[in-house]
Amino acid sequence: MAFLDTEDRASRKTVIGRMIIGLVVVIVFLIPYGTMMIGSLKTQAEILQIPPSFMPQDGLQWSNYVSMWDTPETPVPYNLISTIVISVFATLLVLLVATPAAYFTARFKFPGKMVFMFLVIVTQMLQPAVLTAGLFKQMLAWDLNDTWLAMILINAAFNLAFAVWIMHSFFAGVPRSIDEAAQIDGAGKLRVLFTINLPLVWPGIVTAVIFTFVSCWNEFAASLVILSTAENQPLSVALTKFVGQYATAWQYVFGVSIVAIVPVIVLFALIEKRLIGGLAAGAVK
Amino acid sequence: MKRTKRSAVLALSAAAALLLTSCGFSGGNDSGGSAESEGAQTTLEMLVPTYSTGTKALWEGVIDDFETEHPNIKVNLEVQSWENIENVLKTKLQGNQAPDIYNGGAFAEFAAEDLLAPASDVASAETLADFQTAFADAEKYQDTQYGLPLIASARALFYNKDLMEEAGVKNVPTTWDQLHDASKAISDKTKADGYGMPLGSEEAQGESLIWFAGNGGNFGDAQKIAVNTPANLEAAEFMKKMIDDGVTQNDPGATQRTPMLNTFIQGKLGFAYALPQTVGQIKKENPDLNYGIAAVATKTGSPATLGVADRLMSFKNDGSKSAAVKEFFDYFFSADVYTDWVSTEGFLPTTKSGSEKLAGDETLKPFLDLLPNAVFYPTTNPAWNATDGAFKSLMGEIATGKSAQEVLDAIQAKADAAK
Amino acid sequence: MSSPVPVKAPAGRKLRRSTDTQSFISSLPWIGPALLLILAIVVFPAGYMIYNSTRKISSVGTDLHSAGLANFSTIFADPALPRILANTFFWVVSVVLITVVISLALAQFLSKPFPGRTIVRMAVIVPWAASVVMTTTVFYYGLDPNYGIFNHFFVQIGFMDEGFGWTKNAIPAMAVSVVVAIFVSIPFTTYTLLAGLQAVPGDTLEAARMDGAGRWKTYLFVVLPQLRSALAVAVLINIINVFNNLPILKVMTGSIPGNSADTLMTYIFKVLQFDRRLDLSSALSVVNFAIVLVIVAIYVKTVKPMQEV
Repeated sequence: MAFLDTEDRASRKTVIGRMIIGLVVVIVFLIPYGTMMIGSLKTQAEILQIPPSFMPQDGLQWSNYVSMWDTPETPVPYNLISTIVISVFATLLVLLVATPAAYFTARFKFPGKMVFMFLVIVTQMLQPAVLTAGLFKQMLAWDLNDTWLAMILINAAFNLAFAVWIMHSFFAGVPRSIDEAAQIDGAGKLRVLFTINLPLVWPGIVTAVIFTFVSCWNEFAASLVILSTAENQPLSVALTKFVGQYATAWQYVFGVSIVAIVPVIVLFALIEKRLIGGLAAGAVK
Repeated sequence: MKRTKRSAVLALSAAAALLLTSCGFSGGNDSGGSAESEGAQTTLEMLVPTYSTGTKALWEGVIDDFETEHPNIKVNLEVQSWENIENVLKTKLQGNQAPDIYNGGAFAEFAAEDLLAPASDVASAETLADFQTAFADAEKYQDTQYGLPLIASARALFYNKDLMEEAGVKNVPTTWDQLHDASKAISDKTKADGYGMPLGSEEAQGESLIWFAGNGGNFGDAQKIAVNTPANLEAAEFMKKMIDDGVTQNDPGATQRTPMLNTFIQGKLGFAYALPQTVGQIKKENPDLNYGIAAVATKTGSPATLGVADRLMSFKNDGSKSAAVKEFFDYFFSADVYTDWVSTEGFLPTTKSGSEKLAGDETLKPFLDLLPNAVFYPTTNPAWNATDGAFKSLMGEIATGKSAQEVLDAIQAKADAAK
Repeated sequence: MSSPVPVKAPAGRKLRRSTDTQSFISSLPWIGPALLLILAIVVFPAGYMIYNSTRKISSVGTDLHSAGLANFSTIFADPALPRILANTFFWVVSVVLITVVISLALAQFLSKPFPGRTIVRMAVIVPWAASVVMTTTVFYYGLDPNYGIFNHFFVQIGFMDEGFGWTKNAIPAMAVSVVVAIFVSIPFTTYTLLAGLQAVPGDTLEAARMDGAGRWKTYLFVVLPQLRSALAVAVLINIINVFNNLPILKVMTGSIPGNSADTLMTYIFKVLQFDRRLDLSSALSVVNFAIVLVIVAIYVKTVKPMQEV
């Protein structure tokens, strides 16, 4: 963080400038979601009014946020739980399998390494969207259709690439001298990974966790065909149930979408500090 | 460091425990094997689309009552949006997991591949006899009836009385030319658009057939899809004239029906073809709208409209569940259950008993009156589904520079390729 | 935070002795789980897609008979294909390029201390957290000529006379889609780069500054090379994801007739949804996959995102 220390003995003016730019950034990035939020507080009729109103005219319909949990179209509380379970366990699974692979490929040479790394990135190229027919058949054969486990496995398999590659690049950035020193002390590879390396690559892990979690959270194509019971479906599929042939319950679509953002932000808030950790913070210990 | 490690181990073992014990809210108990062990229990898989936001609840009500009467039959309901349902169905078909009961728009392609149970296997003679003949005939593929007509709907001309008055239009248009001139007057003299023409992917096929029918045209029959006929071409050219003369809303080629109807509901559109559900929507969203409902404007003024019917069908799979499906269909099409369902969704009934019960319904009356002159999609032709898709993706091009002839030929080519 | 890490400067890295070589067997405990997951879940559906591309499949999904390579010749004979490929190229290049440039600046900005930085960082993550379909839907309805709130706003401030159908014509719809795609790609790219920035060792910067290098020089010759691997991975994932993106274009350009605004992905979707041709869409998917594969192979070969090893 010396970067900041030396260059940024920032003057008052600079700091205020940054705060203004920061404010602009916040506004730009939140505009669509502000619109969504306002939409979720309107009545169904008002959302479709011409010309549109910027703010709800008939009073803020906070009741939408109460009634959306109990709608005839889809069981939203169950959908939320399903989304959480699938995303959390798929993310854990990704970390579990990606971390050792990333560490080993960053540290050692072995025959087939390039093939392995390329195979990993191929999974990113194949989107579940074009593979649903095969995924359905496969999960059917394993008797896993309509289960969370199926979606945990699918999400983990198709979101492995980023985690492996980004952690690989971070592990590769950790000086080998650190490893070697530990190995001289008699530590095994696993211990070197857990106690020496992991703390040094936190920013990479954090990015990988958010990436994986968000991808799982919003996955749609495979969930649509694999999960047929309404209660098991994630929010991404549940949202489509509000779309009727002639009319759509936009207030719920918007409300559920807003609520769906919250857990990701909470997750981010919990691990954001680690993003600043990394090499600088870790090596002091 | 130790703490991190321990909590990681804890989290993982919790994960493992959860995955082993539970695979979802209903995981494990609906797989084929366990059903048999409970004796005579039959489980029916049912896949339906959402007509309205109340569709799921409506079916759940029907199923609950049915299961109470038939404790040995369980119905698993899966509801999907129209946009996704065919994708889901196709995946299931490929995995040999066809639903026992399916509600859809096309059936002939399934019948052509011998995937459907004949109607006589899944409904009693009394139930079948209760369908109005015209509808039942539209469910036949090679002389065997497969589908059970579920709903019917007809299109009518909705007109905004206030805008007509403001533009000085006295009479409700009954011919193409009158509609053109009235729309032009509204476009020119008011802030609103004259006529709403939705040729986007949602409704291009419906809008087209309304106009084609107005010139005595149609999309062909069970044997042959015929799109680029002279009658159709003349109608398409008149549609293009409406667009080129600027009497429609902007960008009709990319306009979807739902938002277009919404502009009508909000009083910003002179004329639009709409359906029974629109009446309910106006009541809910803009009850002050001063509007009327009239017959479709045709070339000469002789009556014609587009009729739409959707159906229930049963994929036969191994045939072991047809008795249970029969119980369900007979229950559902009994006069009280069916009438309640169809009127809640706001559609026209397809059964004789249903029509009698709903004859006095004021909302439905203008549409029921139009039904005898309705032209239907050629749903009995296996190539209809592909034709439908071609209309959705191509018809809008008459608004973006291509000639009517070119566009109809392109649609015809896609239909021919689907045989 | 006080003392910088004893990381070698880039020049020193090249001197590092080559890593020890291990046998494939000894790598298995480490890469095995990932390998197993990929082989178990991905291989069958991918193979099934390729298999389907060589079959004649009816509109309801029944496998009728082998079609050899007929599906592929049908695709390549399609007169719409050149336009679709051109659109795809324009789409990927413009989205990835602009995303990377904005993200580099934004990551730099977010690494500087100022009060409220955490809030700004959180705001930037929101478009990532939100579902792409919903973000796009908000833009789509906001830009509706009649009841769109953005259009209404433009009219109110006198920017336009009446609502414009942004999403109703190929070129403006494509342009708006590019903006939305950039908007939703920035958070991921920015965060990957932000994480990469944390690995830039302080003493290197110190050294550069002592040599009298200016801000831009320091950035170009010291910071950017250090960001290389994070940037390389971010660009790689972006190329793949933008190439394969369906939801944005499906929502934004879905109502436009014909193929003037289609990319390969939306075309695959239309062939499946409207033409009901699983065989053709599988063949298109195979072509799509092959193109991405070649691009990624070239990218990995030239950019060498794994160079450090």
